[in-house]
Amino acid sequence: MKSRIIIAIVFLSLGLIIAFVPENTTSQYKLSAAELLDEVKGETQFVHPDQVADMIVQDQPTMQLIDIRSKEEFEKYALPEAINIPLDNILSEEWKPYLNQDVYLNVFYSNGTTRANEAWMITRQLGYKNNYVLQGGLNYWVETVLNPEKPDMTSPDDEFARYNYRKAAGNALGGGGTIEQKQDVEPAKLPPIRKGNKKKMVQGGCS
Amino acid sequence: MMRNRKSRSYINPYLGGVLLGLTVLAANYISGRGLGASGAMKNAIVASVEAVAPAHAENAAFYKEFNETHTGSPLNSWLVYQMLGVLAGGFLSGVIARRMTWKVEHSPKISSKTRLVAALAGGILFGFGSQLGRGCTSGSALSGMAVLSLGGFLSMMAIFGTAFALAYFVRKLWI
Amino acid sequence: MGPLIVNDIISPNTNMLLAFFIGIAFGFILESSGFSSSRKLVGVFYGYDTVVLKVFFTGAITAMLGLLFFSLFGWMDLTYIYINPTYLWSTLVGGVIMGAGFILGGFCPGTSVCAAAIGKIDAFLFIAGIFIGIFIFMEGYPLWEGLYKAEFLGYLKMNKYFNLSSGLFVLLVIAAAVVMFWIAEKAEKKFKAPEY
Repeated sequence: MKSRIIIAIVFLSLGLIIAFVPENTTSQYKLSAAELLDEVKGETQFVHPDQVADMIVQDQPTMQLIDIRSKEEFEKYALPEAINIPLDNILSEEWKPYLNQDVYLNVFYSNGTTRANEAWMITRQLGYKNNYVLQGGLNYWVETVLNPEKPDMTSPDDEFARYNYRKAAGNALGGGGTIEQKQDVEPAKLPPIRKGNKKKMVQGGCS
Repeated sequence: MMRNRKSRSYINPYLGGVLLGLTVLAANYISGRGLGASGAMKNAIVASVEAVAPAHAENAAFYKEFNETHTGSPLNSWLVYQMLGVLAGGFLSGVIARRMTWKVEHSPKISSKTRLVAALAGGILFGFGSQLGRGCTSGSALSGMAVLSLGGFLSMMAIFGTAFALAYFVRKLWI
Repeated sequence: MGPLIVNDIISPNTNMLLAFFIGIAFGFILESSGFSSSRKLVGVFYGYDTVVLKVFFTGAITAMLGLLFFSLFGWMDLTYIYINPTYLWSTLVGGVIMGAGFILGGFCPGTSVCAAAIGKIDAFLFIAGIFIGIFIFMEGYPLWEGLYKAEFLGYLKMNKYFNLSSGLFVLLVIAAAVVMFWIAEKAEKKFKAPEY
């Protein structure tokens, strides 16, 4: 067969396919509902308070706590070094560089788990990575880190070890009492945006 | 007869086109940009002017604008490396196909000298036009069309349309 | 996911190295398709050899299809690739000047480098001309700066301009190209090629 006929057939069939597939699928930045469901079921987004406390105590610079409650609640009490991105504002362009980045490990928290999880689902569906949720929220945080319950005498040793660690971490984090105590600490300043070259536009053409 | 022997040594044009398209695709996949040729030559000239007459390069409008949009040495650019590759690739293909000869190719109706003058004049026009049009056949037309840029299609139509319209008047140069 | 450089999958230095290899492929393909011969190149304007038209359009269409399919499979984010800006007048006037240069000189910048690589002396003169032309443009820049920057239409895409999906637009380009290839091969039969 003549090469012109072959190339015409191949091009026209590929052209027909590309003309009639929906163009939306060409944007791979978003997750499909099924993919999201898989991740939700996997519960991989949760970070246990122990881990978070550990990272705060060790002053891990790669973790960024994000308080997604309202501004008032945030000012009343917040975890150390947390920044405030109220859930209502989560889609604003202003916060995009903090949420869509690959340097920090973001941990969302609210009072419970639900609202932080909502924030996580929104960002995840946008295709953002490195966002996590504080398991149980602030309520569980208080229970486990700030006011750990003394285990029974019959409990295994590692339970005691955990208790002792939590007790120590809780003290370091200003716990040991109730959370009603006034926090004089200034809310953390916004960290610098570190995003690498991700958004850099390429140079091109002959210029 | 002559033509048959020659054309056999070239690859099928449609195969060549597919390979060329894959190269443009690779450039976009790797570097997010298309191919280019005239841009590399511009960078070479900017570099020479900056070396020979640095004072002039600091004051003239074009170089100022160029340095505002480009960082680093003009020679350390993607297009320059790509163009060195073109030189190497063309040479390689010529060696493999045994087409390496010193030669001035021209119609038997004109002298070598006429051909050389026409080539120089054509080069001057092409060089100037490529700057005004922000890229040549590769950078603007081919790569621009690949990404469906309106400028790429306009550029292609203007280049080929004009050449086609003027072809009759300079036919002695070629046939 | 591509483009690799934007997503930091390769370093800027690797990018430069790969540019060299892309250039080798580019040069090799141009030369082995016959683009190192000026009389073969201009054949398209006299109908005796339409290799330019075939290679050029096959190449453009392959790249268009490739980009759209890469994006469809999620291999590449097309929002990051470079789209040539459209400045209406400078593109048209520049294109007309380039067209005149093409039919006079018989090369375009990329092909002239290939031709020079295999020893075509006219190609060396053409390259010298390009350098002079670019130099004239730079030195006289204030004279044509107005034209150079007039009618900026943005980074406009054809399919947006005609309000079509990109896939449908590419299909139309393919249909047009198939017709052109057919006409081109008819022309090659009609016009006798000179010996070169």
